[in-house]
Amino acid sequence: MDKKLEHIFLSEFETHQNIVHKICSLYSNDREAHHDLFQEISIQLWKAYPKFRGDSKFSTWMYRVAINTAITQYRKNKKRTDTHDIENVLFKTKAYEDYDPHEEQQLSLMYQAIKELNDIDKALIFMFLEDKKYDEISSTLGISEVNTRVKMNRIKKKLNKILNP
Amino acid sequence: MKELDLLKKDWKAREDSYPKLDKEALYTLIWRRSSSIVKWLYYISIAEFVFWTALSFFTKNSETDALVKSIHLYSFINILTVINYAVLIYFIYRFYKNYKKISYNSSSKELVESILKVKRTVTHYVWFNLSILATSLLGLFYGIIHYGPATESIFNAAAKEDNSLLFWAIIAAVCILIIGLAVLLLWLFYKLLYGILLKKLKMNHKELRKLNS
Repeated sequence: MDKKLEHIFLSEFETHQNIVHKICSLYSNDREAHHDLFQEISIQLWKAYPKFRGDSKFSTWMYRVAINTAITQYRKNKKRTDTHDIENVLFKTKAYEDYDPHEEQQLSLMYQAIKELNDIDKALIFMFLEDKKYDEISSTLGISEVNTRVKMNRIKKKLNKILNP
Repeated sequence: MKELDLLKKDWKAREDSYPKLDKEALYTLIWRRSSSIVKWLYYISIAEFVFWTALSFFTKNSETDALVKSIHLYSFINILTVINYAVLIYFIYRFYKNYKKISYNSSSKELVESILKVKRTVTHYVWFNLSILATSLLGLFYGIIHYGPATESIFNAAAKEDNSLLFWAIIAAVCILIIGLAVLLLWLFYKLLYGILLKKLKMNHKELRKLNS
């Protein structure tokens, strides 16, 4: 990569890094894992950037590369260890002020449930939380739009069941 | 489902709670791959240590002990073994320190320095192992020539020769040749083992220097 391209990449990355942080928060259980995944995604973005033609927005491209990397890493780690240690380090503090114990509990339950979803479903709920339309979700994840809707409905049902048992 | 809206709201509220890295930090992160290479160097040093320890453990028995004693090398080998283990443990510690250091420092400049340090450690490590091999072989040849089963015939042959100096020179040359070959083989092994990892480190180093300049 030449200097100019490097510079453009780093500026774009700096602006949109939150996307990667958010993905990491869903796919990792502690700070160290978050950092490792963030680094891995950074490296993959860096490697893939010269092939990025600019026919989509940088952020759209970033979603795709970051999610794919997260899924790949998730599967790699899955092979090594299957135990799930839900620490929710990043989700312990509530981000806004109006504290409601019931809401808080619901949120914590939902985040926990999301953490236990499989790799693809996590990506789906992530895109949903990011307010992405179904066509964008389906093209990013490489699954059909119908399949996306079906999967999303299943996740919603699952969450509903957890909250209203 | 109103809970999902709640979740979405919370998700958005968290937007500002994530770490913010500047360009330099991001760039360094990308080139921090070095740390995983250094981690491997550390693991390999441990694996090697375990391998040699296991090997000497399984080959050690009363027969080899008697053989070593018969050529008067028992204490020589023991002292060498103690030195060897002490230094190897020190090296494992160094590799560990390198690994820890490289995973914690943040600036690319520090990273460059750490990489150089790692390369130096590896070089020292290889040199130490080569010298231990050469020293033990040297001792072995000395023992075999002076106290081995063929000692008598060797000394007789030397006495028969008109030019006994030349005779001994040839024996010495053969020993040195064998030692040289053994050292060369071990060196090639290390070259292969560490060469690939060091090459990757070197590339990272080059890129990082470009960033600093």
